[in-house]
Amino acid sequence: MAQTLSAAKKKRHSPRFRIDLMPYLFILPAVVIYVIFNLGPVLASFFLSFFRWDLLSPTTEYIGFKHYDFILNDDKFWNALSHNFTFLILAVIIPVWMGLFLAVFIYEIRRGRVFFRAALFLPAIFSGVVIAYVWKWIYHPFAGVLNPTLELIGLGAFTQSWLGNPKIALYSTFIAYTWASFGYSMVIFLAGLQDISTDIFDAARVDGANFWQKLIWITIPCLYDVFTFVITLRIFTAMGVFGVIYILTGGGPFYQSDVIDIYVFRMIGNFEMGWATAAATVNTVVVVFISTGFIKWREWRSWSS
Amino acid sequence: MEFLSGKAQRRLQGAPFYFLLTLATVITLVPIIWVFASALKSNKEIRENALALPQEWRFQNYLDAWFGASFDEYFFNSIFITVTSVAIVLFLSSLAAYSFAKMRFRGNQMIFFLFLVGMAFPLSAKLGPLLSLMYELNLANSRFGLILVYVAGSLPFAILMLRAFFQGFPQELEDSAALDGCNRFQFYLRILLPLSKPSLMALGIFVFMGTWNEFFQALLLINEDSKRTLPLGLTAFQDEYFTDFALSFAGINITAVPVIIVYIMFQRNLIEGITVGSLK
Repeated sequence: MAQTLSAAKKKRHSPRFRIDLMPYLFILPAVVIYVIFNLGPVLASFFLSFFRWDLLSPTTEYIGFKHYDFILNDDKFWNALSHNFTFLILAVIIPVWMGLFLAVFIYEIRRGRVFFRAALFLPAIFSGVVIAYVWKWIYHPFAGVLNPTLELIGLGAFTQSWLGNPKIALYSTFIAYTWASFGYSMVIFLAGLQDISTDIFDAARVDGANFWQKLIWITIPCLYDVFTFVITLRIFTAMGVFGVIYILTGGGPFYQSDVIDIYVFRMIGNFEMGWATAAATVNTVVVVFISTGFIKWREWRSWSS
Repeated sequence: MEFLSGKAQRRLQGAPFYFLLTLATVITLVPIIWVFASALKSNKEIRENALALPQEWRFQNYLDAWFGASFDEYFFNSIFITVTSVAIVLFLSSLAAYSFAKMRFRGNQMIFFLFLVGMAFPLSAKLGPLLSLMYELNLANSRFGLILVYVAGSLPFAILMLRAFFQGFPQELEDSAALDGCNRFQFYLRILLPLSKPSLMALGIFVFMGTWNEFFQALLLINEDSKRTLPLGLTAFQDEYFTDFALSFAGINITAVPVIIVYIMFQRNLIEGITVGSLK
């Protein structure tokens, strides 16, 4: 009796001492690849920004904040970052609200929902490279379509060197970015709208609510979390914009459309790894600060109201 | 409006929405249609009247672009890199997501959190050391190396999405499979994967698009013409033929058409991949 009892006790306790390896085996390949080729380089970037280091020489020497000292005193760094902020402010407004209105329009119609959703999302499927070249040709001084169209409709005074004018080059790239971005917001808002109970809209219709009343008092409040997600997505893409600007202007003319990722890429190309990693680290801190700050603020606001 | 039937009234209410949606669709699609039309024109036509439709359809432009540049190579590279990456991502992320979603082990939450963290970093945060690492491992300028980088980049989102999906599976399913003598790997292979086909499909198309379109890392890691992917090849092509308008337009279309075809075939899966991943 005592023997069987102790055996049972042992059996009950044994799993505590034996480590189940199976869960670890299942995650192992993913963890290895992820750590070596993604998370590792991110952490290395942070640590190496405190060392003198370039691609060519293997020696590293601790130099503290020297690289940061250079970056934070470099006008071109702040210039590039300020363009990311311009992009950010425009991006969290224009493609987001375009997407919302188009999603609401599609939600309101009966026939053709799938067609309009598919057609309006089309630009979002392309590589930034394709998007950039399409717009490079649209803006082209004499083979392009924009200037002749403006002349045709009597707005000839507005014809421009869209990518050559330092004052507007950044905004010209933003239009290309918007063309390829609003579709994302649209399909996410549309999915969010379809999750809202139709009872609410039916009740509103019975009460005689018009389009704007429904939008302001039902749709927008119900999509609170979807807004948070869509805007967060825009924060990331605006702070990390690269391909479209790299091809359309290369950051020019006179660095007037330069952004952080092009700045970092240029530093790497010049083998200035220390400055590149320091600039990338500052950018990372800024992005994480803005995005988590935004999400926390949204959570706090929804919780407090 | 009392005299109108309910049906006609509803149709009339929808009219402004149809009007605005049609207008938005036209504005959205005009650039694409214009690029396709321009690729069929001669250089002279483009220079003299950029807005006019092609006088006669010159499909020769496409042949010139295809054979004049190495688009066949770029195309093969893109297919190879994208398909391999998608297959590896689906396999590794489903394995890991199953473990995170259904198994209890020390460090589960923490390791999963490490994957989440990866989604918060901008791409530029890893580029310098990544380039150096790839040269160290002899994986720079290599299709295989690029695949590893793409897989590592896609894993966080893939695991996040599949974990949420697997968590919805009832525990009884696994228990009864265990009673029938099914071990956990068999359960994963024979029951979990077949039941997850729609999710895997949505995720696969989403990863396919992202990988096919990727440019920044390819630009950094590949500098041999024979190893370029389509987006990278297109930039080289455009630099070379910048004065040959018709050929440039044809090159853009050659890059865009495969994506459009995949999109038309899998439109629902792709949009599901985006929205399911985002609303969970």
